[in-house]
Amino acid sequence: MNENESDALGYNRRDFITGGSIATLMTMLGGVELFAQTNAAPEEGATKITPVKVKVALIGLGTWGREILNSLGRLPQADVAAICDTYPPFLKRCASAAPGAAQTGDYQTILANKEIKTVIIATPTDKHKEIALAALKAGKHVYCEAPLANTVDDARAIALAAKAAKQLVFQAGLQMRSDPQRHFLLPFIRSGALGKSVMARAQWHKKTSWRATSSSPEQEKALNWRLSQATSSGLLGEMGIHPIDQAGWLLNLHPVAVSAAGTLAFWKDDRDVPDSVQAVVEFPAGVRMIYDATLANSFDGEYEMLYGSDAAIMMRENKAWMFKEVDSPLLGWEVYATKVQFYKETGIALVMGASKAPPANTAAVQEEALTRTPLYHALGNFLRNAEAVGTATKDFIESFGADDADALAEHLAKNIHRQPAAGYLEGYQATVTGLKANEAVRTGQRIILQPEWYELS
Amino acid sequence: MKRSTLLVLAAGSTVWLLTAAALQAAEPMARYNSKPGDLKVRIEGTSNIHDWQVEGKLIGGYLEAGPGFPTEPGQAVTPGKLEAHVEAYIPVRSLTSVEKDGRPYSTAMDDIMYEKLLAQANSKILYRLTELVLKEAPKSKDAPYVCDAKGELVVAGVTNTISMPVNILPVGDKKIKITGSTSVKMTSFKIEPPAPKIALGLIKTGDDVKLIFEWTVAQKKALPTPASN
Repeated sequence: MNENESDALGYNRRDFITGGSIATLMTMLGGVELFAQTNAAPEEGATKITPVKVKVALIGLGTWGREILNSLGRLPQADVAAICDTYPPFLKRCASAAPGAAQTGDYQTILANKEIKTVIIATPTDKHKEIALAALKAGKHVYCEAPLANTVDDARAIALAAKAAKQLVFQAGLQMRSDPQRHFLLPFIRSGALGKSVMARAQWHKKTSWRATSSSPEQEKALNWRLSQATSSGLLGEMGIHPIDQAGWLLNLHPVAVSAAGTLAFWKDDRDVPDSVQAVVEFPAGVRMIYDATLANSFDGEYEMLYGSDAAIMMRENKAWMFKEVDSPLLGWEVYATKVQFYKETGIALVMGASKAPPANTAAVQEEALTRTPLYHALGNFLRNAEAVGTATKDFIESFGADDADALAEHLAKNIHRQPAAGYLEGYQATVTGLKANEAVRTGQRIILQPEWYELS
Repeated sequence: MKRSTLLVLAAGSTVWLLTAAALQAAEPMARYNSKPGDLKVRIEGTSNIHDWQVEGKLIGGYLEAGPGFPTEPGQAVTPGKLEAHVEAYIPVRSLTSVEKDGRPYSTAMDDIMYEKLLAQANSKILYRLTELVLKEAPKSKDAPYVCDAKGELVVAGVTNTISMPVNILPVGDKKIKITGSTSVKMTSFKIEPPAPKIALGLIKTGDDVKLIFEWTVAQKKALPTPASN
């Protein structure tokens, strides 16, 4: 056999080198790509949908705020009406990405603007509570980044205010909960396709200092809020919160305990937040999740794994692969799936509408995979839900009057088609876990997660 | 003043007085407004893949019932024309696609529906009653009054006159439940049946759709007079 060709379907070494992507690597390891057929761009002849524009304001233009702004720029329904940051260089930097948006250093001016119905809060975490409470009071739909706050009390205050605001949408920034790929996997996992769940794993590796510089010491301290325990819940609270929440959600399990450790292994400056952490999150039924994150090495980036007695699933970016055990029972669909043999693993392709779908390695599909990230879907769902709730409220009051608040609340709760998203409860509960995991790092103690901590009263 | 002028004035005054008296003697229309909760709109359609259904829980508008309109259970009403005004509407965005068991179906289908109904320019489906005829008196106190209704239906900005059977059921406590259904063609409202493309190919939606509604209206209850000290 030509050493450049594998046993697979014409796959060869040149393809691997030129492909060079994680997706290629995974396919080569025998992973079976699982992907959802999302609502892609309309094909020729399909009904062209005119999006209903929603005026949105973004408060907080740091690294993640700029990522949000990029996603908003690709959302046809987003009308970025205002951007806000107390640091003028950030405003200037974002101006070109939001042409026509008002620029302000004071979020109150945004809240006073009745045309703006939705706000996205991407400020340092310790600023979330003040802005979120004010925004809800001003009658705005709110998307608040996760973790909701740096203390359980503050997170609870935000969640309770959101709960009371029955006519408003509150979405926590747990973007995986809006990802169509994860929703495609959810019934697959919950139906027991993995067998008995035994373990989960996730990592976040990126060599970066998290440090920003400024000519003003005071401003530099504000920009580097992530590096101080006083203003940050560290890698576990800021980054680990997402895969830990995702694992519990997909497996339908609530965490019961967490142990963690952290070190300042590389970035030895004046920070007191570890640059490398490892955590073990315990779930019921003997399932444990291992999570590690580091700012000192980028190898293998970011991914999540779920391990079961019959199969494992890997999730990277917005793609997923399944690796079946050799002794796992056939589920039936394997008969129709494409099988890829590589190295020692056999991967089974699971693709909806495979006969009509474009090949997974076409430029168009890859571009869509890169642009339609979980964040993109989360923001799109937020804007759509906010618009739907706003319209439903207006229609209800016009139809029946404004006297019956309970009937309106019931209508909004039961009769609106909402796109999937993390609400105030999911955001609060994930924040509790993230904060407790960070506490475990600081104290060196295993923390048993009390059920009452997760209740909103 | 000439005698002829006086006679004209007298005749005119008499007509005016008689008309005023007649107006005073005519009973006012009783207004019933739409109430939340006990109402539903359902649209059923077909396609080459599977049947589909859309539901909504908002109907706005009012019924004005004239004398002789059944407003109380068991009320004696003579079959024939009933005096009534109805103006009702369904907010287009309140309609959402559902599975057969009522679970949400697809926001993508909802978006196509709103686009086809020209929701941004025509946010409501409107209905105005032009004629209501009671076909026969109900056989029991709990049975509805079976009527034929004729009216104007406005969908996506296009008006058509439709006839449909409706049942009117006074349920007491100043509430009336009205139900009915009719079949229409999308193309009669200049709506091209959607043909969305999916991975399996082209879905062709059928032109015929069935509209079904249940609508409860109620009179506003008078506020109790506060007790004097």
